[in-house]
Amino acid sequence: MDNNALWIILQRLRTPLLVIIITYSIAILGMVLIPGVDDKGDIYHLTFFDAFYFISYTASTIGFGETPYEFTYTQRLWVLVCIYLTVVGWFYAIGTLVAVLSDKTLKNELMKGRFRKRVRALKSDFIIILGYNHVNSQVIQKLLANDLAVVLVDISEDKINGFLLEDFAHSIPVMVADALLTETLKDAGIEMDRCQAVVSHFFKEDKNLRIAILTKFLNSNVKVITKATVRDTMTSLIDTDIAKVENPFEIFAKRLDIALIAPHIMILENWIYKNYDLTHEATFLPQGRYIICGYGRMGKVVKEKLDFHGIEYVIIDENVIPTKEMIENNTFISANADDREVLLEAGIEESAVLIAGTQNDIDNISIVLTAQKLNSELYLIARENTMKEVSIFEAANIDWLFMIEKILINKTSLQLANPLKHAFLKLIIYKDEEWGTSLVNLLKSQIGANPKLMNLTITEERAYALYREIEAGESINLNILLKSLRDWKSYHNAIPLLLKRGNEEILLPHDEVMELGDQILFACDEESREEIEYIASNIYDLHYIRTGEEKKNWLLGKIFK
Amino acid sequence: MNLQKVISGFFFILAMTLNFGFSYGDAQNIEMHTNYELYAALVVSLIATILKIGDKTQIGSVLLASSLVADIQLIAAVLIWTVTDSMDSATMATIVSLSGGALMANVTSVILYIGETLKSKR
Repeated sequence: MDNNALWIILQRLRTPLLVIIITYSIAILGMVLIPGVDDKGDIYHLTFFDAFYFISYTASTIGFGETPYEFTYTQRLWVLVCIYLTVVGWFYAIGTLVAVLSDKTLKNELMKGRFRKRVRALKSDFIIILGYNHVNSQVIQKLLANDLAVVLVDISEDKINGFLLEDFAHSIPVMVADALLTETLKDAGIEMDRCQAVVSHFFKEDKNLRIAILTKFLNSNVKVITKATVRDTMTSLIDTDIAKVENPFEIFAKRLDIALIAPHIMILENWIYKNYDLTHEATFLPQGRYIICGYGRMGKVVKEKLDFHGIEYVIIDENVIPTKEMIENNTFISANADDREVLLEAGIEESAVLIAGTQNDIDNISIVLTAQKLNSELYLIARENTMKEVSIFEAANIDWLFMIEKILINKTSLQLANPLKHAFLKLIIYKDEEWGTSLVNLLKSQIGANPKLMNLTITEERAYALYREIEAGESINLNILLKSLRDWKSYHNAIPLLLKRGNEEILLPHDEVMELGDQILFACDEESREEIEYIASNIYDLHYIRTGEEKKNWLLGKIFK
Repeated sequence: MNLQKVISGFFFILAMTLNFGFSYGDAQNIEMHTNYELYAALVVSLIATILKIGDKTQIGSVLLASSLVADIQLIAAVLIWTVTDSMDSATMATIVSLSGGALMANVTSVILYIGETLKSKR
């Protein structure tokens, strides 16, 4: 039991214990002092033990009867007093004890104690998740699938109870507490070396900022994974230096960008997220007029991108006051987009793409349904704020569904579970279509439609042979790892995608000299994955690949000489 | 004057004096030690223990610890008195020496208590 909990119990039980001791001692003393008559008619006094025995079973209302001899009337008179005195005292004490045990503060203390103990007992690196919602629930499952330990804190007891019903809940230390307090973060182990990151996806973004600042002062080695949809909050978050901020709207804008000019990059992205394989058709957004419904955080980033690419568009929103420029260009209709007439006025029949991007999921779906009736050729993009209505959106036959929560789930879990893939994605979105096409074709022709990804880190455990050679001062090129063990002059089917060395990231490395601690991401098939692992960790295989000769076993060589 | 201090001080010192009163006299002489006084010493010592609970300071913990020691010693003495068939001088000597040990603990706690009171500025 935790120290605090013990103190709470003891403190609350002070008065009841005093009451019991005092009432018992008075009753016992009386029983001893009052003379009784034994079976032979002689006068006797109860011993202290007899009296204690009698009072004990009387006070607890067990009532074995009068021992050792039947009482006299004087004694019974005193027993009457004893009963009312001690029984009341006893019940009072029991009542208080029960009340203390069901007390909320005590329960919280007990839970906190268990939580702290479990966090301290975690053997591997772990990640603190603040708040239990749909996004974090999915993130937890993905992290667990990647063998990462997780610690969960939420302020609401109901949510925690809901979490405890999940089948993955048993391995996760969990506590009901306010995550915005330093003490909670400390309890969750933020100051420990093994704490890798804090995931904070609060809807109110100032909370996320607060978490980032607290974390910076508690342990600046911990990453804070968070989101921001407002630019001010985002810059403040980035200024803390330790926060990795995702803005789902900017991610969407970037994807829109890619879909407009470099759809093959999108294919690569979908492949890395395991949504589709590489043969999936590239999404080219149709050219033509765009209708944007809703001019909020999403509408603004979309407008920026369309302006940049010089695409004609019209915005529909009833709550926003248009700028002068918009009125002059005739690109703004101040009306509710969920209306036939308004959509017709916006020229839906001549338009190519409709983006339903309001804050309200039902509005979005309703806009989409109306638009489908007016123009069946229309390319539809819809925004879905929460995953609650996912089946309705799927049924609506929407060409491109933008799910804010799904983006957060994917980004967060990839960043934590596989930082190398995440780094690769971050680099490729700035590449052009030509680069994307050639990489997709290379992957398809050399490996297949759905290549696997593997990480290799040059450490003693992961790549023993390489580590040994490099440490001894040998210079080894990356393409050593690509050679085939069957014939050292040929190559197997792997393609190195990224080499990460400290803060330096090399996209599509080719002939780099490897260094200790390098992290390399390969696209490969099952067979080449094995070959890379053999070459990296087996000194005989490495020797063969480098020289084309079998390495002589030193001991055997001596024996046979 | 603080009533709470008076009450707790009263019980701490009473526990010591009763304990001393029981132990005083020739240890082997049965007639010099009455069971009523041992009973009183135990009850008052238990009350003193409860009164000491709840103070989480350093000195509070030592006070509580010394009181628990006294309780255990006195309970041992009472148990021996209860289970013994016929009281002889050897048994009485054991009981008195146990309560003597309790006395040491009580004296310690009273000294600590006085020291704390003297240190206090109020």
